[in-house]
Amino acid sequence: MHIRHLPYPDPGTPDVRSGHHFLLWLGRQQLGGQAKSLAWGTLHLLSVAALPLAVGLAVQAVVDRSGERLALAGALMALLGAGATVGDTMLHRTAITNWVTAAARVQQLLARRTASLGATLTQRVAAGEVVAVSTGDIEKVGWCVESASRFSAALLVSLSVCAGLIAYEPELGGLVAAGLLVLTLVILPMLPRATRRADLQREKAGRATELAADTVAGLRVLRGIGGEQLFLERYRKASQEVRGSAVRTARMWALIEAVQVALPGLLLIAVIWQGTRMTTDGRLAVGELVTVYGAVTFLLFPLRMFQEFAMAYSFSRPSATRAARVLALHHATEARTAAAPGTAAALRPEGDLYDPASGVLAAAGQLTAVVCGDADAAGVLADRLGGHALAPSPDGEEVLLGGVALDDAPLDVARTAVLVQDKDPVLLSGTLEELMDVPSSGEVAVRDALEAAQCGDVLAALAQGSPGTDADPLRVRITERGRSLSGGQRQRLALARSLVTDPAVLVLDEPTSAVDSHTESRIATALHRIRAGRTTVVLTSSPLVLDCADQVLLVQDGRVTASGPHRKLLHTDADYRAVVTRQTDEELTERTGSA
Amino acid sequence: MIGVAPPAYDPAASESVTTLPVGTPATVRAYVRLLFRRHRRAFVLLVTVNAIAVTASMVGPYLLGTVVEDLAAGVEDIPLERTVALFAVALLVQTVFIRMVRLRGAMLGEEMLADLREDFLVRSVGLPPGVLERAGTGDLLSRITTDIDRLANAMREAVPQLAIGVVWAALLLGALTVTAPPLALAVLIALPVLITGCRWYYRRAPAAYRSEAAGYAAVAGALAETVDAGRTVEAHRLGARRIGLSEQRIAEWTAWERYTLWLRTIIFPTLNLSNVLVLGSVLMLGGVFVLEGWISVGQLTTGALFSQMLFEPVSLILRWYDELQVAQVSLARLVGVREIEPDSGDGALSPDGRRMQADEVRFGYHEGADVLHGVTLDVPPGTRVALVGPSGAGKSTLGRLLAGIYGPREGEVTLGGAELSRMPAERVRRHVALVNQEHHVFVGSLRENLLLARTDADDSELRAALGAVGADDWADGLTDGLDTEVGSGGVAVTPAQAQQIALARLVLADPHTLVLDEATSLLDPRAARHLERSLAQVLEGRTVVAIAHRLHTAHDADVIAVVEQGTISELGSHDTLVAADGAYAALWRSWHG
Repeated sequence: MHIRHLPYPDPGTPDVRSGHHFLLWLGRQQLGGQAKSLAWGTLHLLSVAALPLAVGLAVQAVVDRSGERLALAGALMALLGAGATVGDTMLHRTAITNWVTAAARVQQLLARRTASLGATLTQRVAAGEVVAVSTGDIEKVGWCVESASRFSAALLVSLSVCAGLIAYEPELGGLVAAGLLVLTLVILPMLPRATRRADLQREKAGRATELAADTVAGLRVLRGIGGEQLFLERYRKASQEVRGSAVRTARMWALIEAVQVALPGLLLIAVIWQGTRMTTDGRLAVGELVTVYGAVTFLLFPLRMFQEFAMAYSFSRPSATRAARVLALHHATEARTAAAPGTAAALRPEGDLYDPASGVLAAAGQLTAVVCGDADAAGVLADRLGGHALAPSPDGEEVLLGGVALDDAPLDVARTAVLVQDKDPVLLSGTLEELMDVPSSGEVAVRDALEAAQCGDVLAALAQGSPGTDADPLRVRITERGRSLSGGQRQRLALARSLVTDPAVLVLDEPTSAVDSHTESRIATALHRIRAGRTTVVLTSSPLVLDCADQVLLVQDGRVTASGPHRKLLHTDADYRAVVTRQTDEELTERTGSA
Repeated sequence: MIGVAPPAYDPAASESVTTLPVGTPATVRAYVRLLFRRHRRAFVLLVTVNAIAVTASMVGPYLLGTVVEDLAAGVEDIPLERTVALFAVALLVQTVFIRMVRLRGAMLGEEMLADLREDFLVRSVGLPPGVLERAGTGDLLSRITTDIDRLANAMREAVPQLAIGVVWAALLLGALTVTAPPLALAVLIALPVLITGCRWYYRRAPAAYRSEAAGYAAVAGALAETVDAGRTVEAHRLGARRIGLSEQRIAEWTAWERYTLWLRTIIFPTLNLSNVLVLGSVLMLGGVFVLEGWISVGQLTTGALFSQMLFEPVSLILRWYDELQVAQVSLARLVGVREIEPDSGDGALSPDGRRMQADEVRFGYHEGADVLHGVTLDVPPGTRVALVGPSGAGKSTLGRLLAGIYGPREGEVTLGGAELSRMPAERVRRHVALVNQEHHVFVGSLRENLLLARTDADDSELRAALGAVGADDWADGLTDGLDTEVGSGGVAVTPAQAQQIALARLVLADPHTLVLDEATSLLDPRAARHLERSLAQVLEGRTVVAIAHRLHTAHDADVIAVVEQGTISELGSHDTLVAADGAYAALWRSWHG
């Protein structure tokens, strides 16, 4: 796989039984890349390992005063230099390719899983885990998978160098091999402690960043009412804690580094001691002593790769476990609805929408308004009206569209027939044009929808706010979640988007709660006109909207208690009047009493 | 064609909307100088311990050289014990000082990093409210998260490591020159290769790494948005499009990975080649020199080992120099905040009384595009004024002017005869508070969330404030009481409760004049109704300017001002306006039936 061919046409089906399985699966997906990386790594390390040989040969040649052998050593050095250079560069290329392809594959898997989870992601744990995997875990997982081949190369080469040394000069070779073993055994147990400290430090740093981001996010509140010093002090404390924790981590690393200097140093002293005596005894040539000295210095290099792999593995295990867990998530209603297949074709979206649990009946082709005494209950009702709800109705009664249970239709079919716009619809970032580009019936033009939702001032504000785009507001980028827009503007854009979709049944939960009365009354009129002949349900308590509905239902304690046109209910039903005119009972008695 | 061209799409270009200034090179330099001055002692210490460690590390090769020299000369009684003892002492010194170098380096880096992030927040919380209101907090937010993050590595590693690397390389070169001056010449052979490669690389690398990082962040960003919008994605059947977007981001990011990989495909061989060139030319030239009798075998051995040691500091310098260049951009963004004029209020200005007046006020956000066209409004103390009117008419803008956040372009807004916009923000807020839809609940305890309004309040006062806004029932129910952690990650707070916290802060801050900008509009109507009742109690006796989108709020006000197209078109009490039969009256009829 080349980087330029990414993304994968199909990222495959991962083995998500456990983190370990997942890592193995990822590794298996790039066996070719791993083999290449192993081969180049071996070339690189072997060349570097053999350099001391050339140095030793050169020194020996000089000692023996042989210009010819010096030239030979030079040629060997050129060859090894070329090998090291090509090996190092290609190792890096293959290793990075392995990392990038593994990371891209996991990102793709994650994107697919996330898209299919949909509303299930409103459960916070799931959402947090997905984000954590995509922001931090993938890098570690990719690193672990990638470093496997480099580790193997390092192991291979250091074993062969040790073997070479032993074969070449058993006494010194044995000394070096034993020394290396001790070094590895001393350092490896120190690594987990260092990584634990690093984890703690990261956690504290995350906390400090969170505090800073939170302070900045609420800065307008702070500047408006005070308390800056309080929050600064708090952040200073967190920031100093991060510093302290980082220094503690550094202490551990400093110790490890000192050990990494001291132990090989001792080994070098031993080599000089033993080597010099062997040389004076005539058992070792001078050049060979230099070679052994050089080889010991070299061996520290693969040793670092061992350490790196040990760290990569210990770091990435929890990450891989979390990634596997996220990739194994399923849509909340999948189990429930998979039990009743086969009714897909029977759905008749042009019929009445009926919820037996509450008695809410939205007549086909009409604008029905529902007034709920309790706002949370309204949200649950809206969710249920769309079918495949996260919280199924208590006694298992299913919402029917044209007499067919929505839950029996596949999720996509149900969502096509009924669009529920919840209380807090999210505007995805992009241009206004992209925002309005949603799967739709194609019968409502974007301009018409924007006009019906009274988005004129939003368009004007967008055109004004960005000079570069030649005043075409449709091409202006809206920031993430539309944060640059006011609550009312966001609500109207969301409504326009739902109108563009133009579903057979549209359920709107408080679509104009943040819109001022002037605009709201215009939206209500336009909504009735643009949805003519289509089924629409609006959950609201605004008289301006209710006044435009064909039929109004009052739902109290989960059941429909009154129905009729707005003006009639206003005059005949005291409960209704109390809810929509927002007078509390006391105020009501007060007012009637004084009148 | 050999090589990879930089991808056409640059994710770093559209990374964040820059609404605040980015530091000029002069500001950045001045700040870096300041930082260095503050930490001069730590720097000197780091360089010193590093020099000792490096010098000690050169003893080994030197000793090996003498041993080789003696062996080659066939000396019989080599002072082996003395050599080994010297080596051991040097090793001890090196071990101790290497540990110190590493530790001191980290301490220095961490201190500078802490300074940097704390300085930035100090500057940020001092920004004039008008700047914040205009620029929004998005840009600041990305600076304190993304840019600080990017700088972390640079400060924590790059600065100390570069200091270490430079000292190290210089000492090695010096030692090489002292050991065998002719050998130092050999190093020069590799220099042109190294310089040419580095120049090519550094001209391209910093920008490329920035784009690569931005591209990677965009991949995570697209996914985070899909997660955040889960319900919307499902309702609108946007799943396939979100997957498509994620894959497009992946393609954009990996294109940059491919490009930076190509850059390294040049710099890696350059580095390796110069290393081999140095070692090779030291050995070959040195060998010839020995054969010619200009230097000894021992000098050659030591020199060869020194030149081999050069590889590490050189790659250290190259590696971290990279990081420093990337960090420079982030640093410029962080210190850019210093270029904003701090709130330059006139400390001597103090209101005399509570009467609020706007006189022929004209104001616009952009040159030549006024939002308000000559608004005059007189608000006597204790009056409740409601501003109503269609979206975009200028209600919120007028509210912000009345709260002293912006100063008018023409005309003036005064409180007790003193011009609001010329007072420092800290003074304005003792008198006037603006409450908008933004009910931020800070990460932290409920106590901290309230204390910000009056830092010296005790628990009974905090409880009383919660009681005044009707929040005592749920607040008392919290397991840890006032110590309960709220905000993101803590106990979830409903929008209504967040609103109550905001109001409780107002009770504590106790300003005599309030500007309410659709403060309850994001709440569901039923919760809003209860809140407005508690609000009414809090507001008793105060001057209130309420931007209302619900007519019953207007109905209860003493004066209603209908704002249309940047002017006040109708002004009077509810009954007067209904009798006048204008726009307000029409709306009221449709609202109330």
